[in-house]
Amino acid sequence: MKVDNSLPLEYSTEENSLKILGFWIFLGAEIMLFATLFAVYFTLENRIGNGPSGAEIFEIAPVLFETFLLLTSSFVIGLGIHAMRLGNKKATMVFFSITLLLGAGFLGFEIYEFVHYVHVGATLQTSAFTAALLTTLGTHGLHVILGLFWGLFILIQINKRGLTPETANKSFIFSLYWHFLDIVWIFIFSFIYLKGMM
Amino acid sequence: MKELFPLKQVMGFVFSLVLTAVALLVHFMDMSFAIGITVLLITAFMQAGLQLVVFMHAGETGDKKSIYTNVFYGLLIALITIFGTLLILVWDM
Repeated sequence: MKVDNSLPLEYSTEENSLKILGFWIFLGAEIMLFATLFAVYFTLENRIGNGPSGAEIFEIAPVLFETFLLLTSSFVIGLGIHAMRLGNKKATMVFFSITLLLGAGFLGFEIYEFVHYVHVGATLQTSAFTAALLTTLGTHGLHVILGLFWGLFILIQINKRGLTPETANKSFIFSLYWHFLDIVWIFIFSFIYLKGMM
Repeated sequence: MKELFPLKQVMGFVFSLVLTAVALLVHFMDMSFAIGITVLLITAFMQAGLQLVVFMHAGETGDKKSIYTNVFYGLLIALITIFGTLLILVWDM
């Protein structure tokens, strides 16, 4: 295995660079996945039938907490990658742990939100609007849940093996995934919640 | 300790908080739909760009060209999907 020391650890072998590029291509496909969900949502957002409308059920406070938690977690995992490039294993693990805790906090608020929706009579079966809304939010939420487990396993690996070209590569790819989820959330925040409450 | 908090990323975070605050004005101020949606479009795409460049290190390595080509292709398909759907099913053109 040829290791190029002029590059960051996560890029240091050809296989590593290719894995990162491959993950970017996967993210391209994820952009398209969420685009179809947004297309469905924008088409159906006014088809509320006998159910509530967005303006009636959206609450600004939990949405703000969710946004702040996810934005901060995205920043903190960026610091984690920076620490990883400095070769600081302990700081990397601390930042990754904080990221996952913030992610879990986000999920807590999202679960509260879903319970609230069901409580006020906005379930998956209520109307075309609620179905599109909960599918879009749920798909993002599922990605976050997956990310939490993925991140946890990476933490365990860093702890066991240290910062090697392999674990660094996995961590970097995970950070790309996490930032991507933040980007998707920004669009949900802007074009589902804020637009819905306008 | 200080070396763990690079200025570029701290500034990126501050800027993303500012953009979020600006987007929130749409909720707390009385704006017309056209102005509100314009503000949201600008802040959301700026946030996305910020994440891409500052936090995802998109333009820093040799595969920069492939990464940007891939992201813009994904974005193009996304916009065609969304606006194509809106054109046919909502705006009825």
